[in-house]
Amino acid sequence: MLKMTHLQKVYRTHLIETYALRDFSINVREGEFVAVTGPSGSGKTTFLNIAGLLEEFTGGEYLLDGDDVAGLGDDARSRLRNEKIGFIFQSFNLIPDLNLFDNVDVPLRYRGFGAADRKKRIEESLSRVGLASRMKHYPAELSGGQQQRVAIARALAGSPRLLLADEPTGNLDSLMARGVMELLEEINRQGTTIVMVTHDPELAARAHRNVHVIDGQVTDFDDEPKLRRPVRDGDAANAAIA
Amino acid sequence: MEIRPILSALMRSKVSMILIGLQVALTLAIVCNALFIIGQRLDLMNRPSGMNEADTFLFGSSGFGQGYDARAVMKSDLALLRQIPGIVDAAPANSVPMSGGGWSSGISLQPRQKTSTADSTFYMVDDHGLNTFGVKLIAGRNFTPAEIEDHDQGARVQPPVIIVTKALADKLFPNGDALGKQVYLDEDEPRSTIIGIVEKTQEPWTDSADIEHATFIPYFLPYGNYTRYLVRTEPGRRDEIMKTVEQKMAEANPSRIIGKLRSMEQVRHEAYANDRAMAIILGAVILALLAVTALGIVGMASFWVAQRTRQIGTRRALGATRFDILRYFQTENFIITTMGLVVGGILSYALSLWLMQQYQSPRLPWYYVPIGFLCLWALGQVAVLGPALRASRVPPAVATRNV
Repeated sequence: MLKMTHLQKVYRTHLIETYALRDFSINVREGEFVAVTGPSGSGKTTFLNIAGLLEEFTGGEYLLDGDDVAGLGDDARSRLRNEKIGFIFQSFNLIPDLNLFDNVDVPLRYRGFGAADRKKRIEESLSRVGLASRMKHYPAELSGGQQQRVAIARALAGSPRLLLADEPTGNLDSLMARGVMELLEEINRQGTTIVMVTHDPELAARAHRNVHVIDGQVTDFDDEPKLRRPVRDGDAANAAIA
Repeated sequence: MEIRPILSALMRSKVSMILIGLQVALTLAIVCNALFIIGQRLDLMNRPSGMNEADTFLFGSSGFGQGYDARAVMKSDLALLRQIPGIVDAAPANSVPMSGGGWSSGISLQPRQKTSTADSTFYMVDDHGLNTFGVKLIAGRNFTPAEIEDHDQGARVQPPVIIVTKALADKLFPNGDALGKQVYLDEDEPRSTIIGIVEKTQEPWTDSADIEHATFIPYFLPYGNYTRYLVRTEPGRRDEIMKTVEQKMAEANPSRIIGKLRSMEQVRHEAYANDRAMAIILGAVILALLAVTALGIVGMASFWVAQRTRQIGTRRALGATRFDILRYFQTENFIITTMGLVVGGILSYALSLWLMQQYQSPRLPWYYVPIGFLCLWALGQVAVLGPALRASRVPPAVATRNV
């Protein structure tokens, strides 16, 4: 699903070069739930940005669902992001002036779905996170946990193959965090591949496998993924880093 | 198009939308009416006087000292002027169009008529008058030298023959048969026969309601020791001849002062100075209003882009292309501008009605408002383009930055 090989991301100024990712390799198989852990500044978010096509990389290879994304133009990256990837952000990133229905509608409009199809998808995805009755509410009227559920509904509405979660429980108390985590696990059980960046070891422990990043490099990983269900396309052992 | 979600988002931040919308509304109302007033002024300023203005100039001669014979000086001056190479013709003229001063009176069809049939200005000229004015005779004939009478200031105006403008002829005789008809320039007999009709000659007063009502009277008339001369030159030689005439007139008779020579173009320029000033002031107001509105839109859009940077990044992360973001801000501006324009359209007609009631101004033509709509839509789109392009350049990675 997501395969990075010797990936490199360098930020250059006229004085120095800073490596955010160096010789970074990872292979996430379809259906996996992978937690990417590491200390602040280790390169987790850079990895997530590149994985989500939010940033470009400076070296190596990245195959998303088998397609080489190097050299894709901005519009092509936007389309690919919209079709294949769902995002869950630490700060939820809901649009405060739109109600829940319209928030979930945002990626669907960019996808070009018809009105009836969008309505069906919005209702289904909000039902899936238990907020179907609050479609006309605005984000400010919800708790943090509920807002993150809306963000998850928004991420799921377009039926993405890959869900990228950036510290999805970072702004939630433990009770709400547990609820969100259970929801992610449920989504994963239904077949969606999830890559979650977190610094919380408890959350990471609930993933199939952990990838630990320090100084932009993968330093450790579980080679015995704790699969809750068989991955779809092959031997789980191969799901470790390439 | 994302009109509904943009509109519902705007409804949650009404103050900014209302402020910009009101600015657009006021701009439309003021700009439409101001443009209409400017158009009216320009129409006034561009009305043809009926004269050959490009090649014509005038000057006054004031005699002084005892024994100054104004009538004799007039005759010798005219003879001298008509001999100068480059001068097509010259004539005495008590007044000229757009000069702001002259002689006017009522013209009647019956003796002692209570209310005259038409008012007209009187131009006292000799048989060279029509040619010097450069007016076009469209019916009848010019005065003959024998018809030119020596007239004294204060004497009754009862010439046997007159030449009138077509507008005046049509007013006096709506059937179009004015030529050869007789009218009363004074209360009683004798009457004056219309022997010629000229196409157009304006009155001296630019604000006159009947500006094309003019009558040429074959009088040789000095005003005391003062005479005004009108001179028409060959095309392109006016300025050169003006210098020559000033010099020759001064040399010909030292017992008088030659007044400042003014071309008819200068006369027109001075006559419409107030109209021109108003057009310029209103034009400046329009430009200032448009600039303020455009800057208001730029400022508000820039503020919104800065305020929503993370939101823009999120939209980009969720699949919006740069063009989607650009279109979002353009659409948002279109919605706000349209709301303002709807209010502004009503305000425009209301302001026009108020101007009609207060200043007897004509009604604002309907098409000004739709044209104003198009212009302000375009202004809004151009004004928001810079901030919208800035927004479209917000990178999607902004979405994952935790500020």
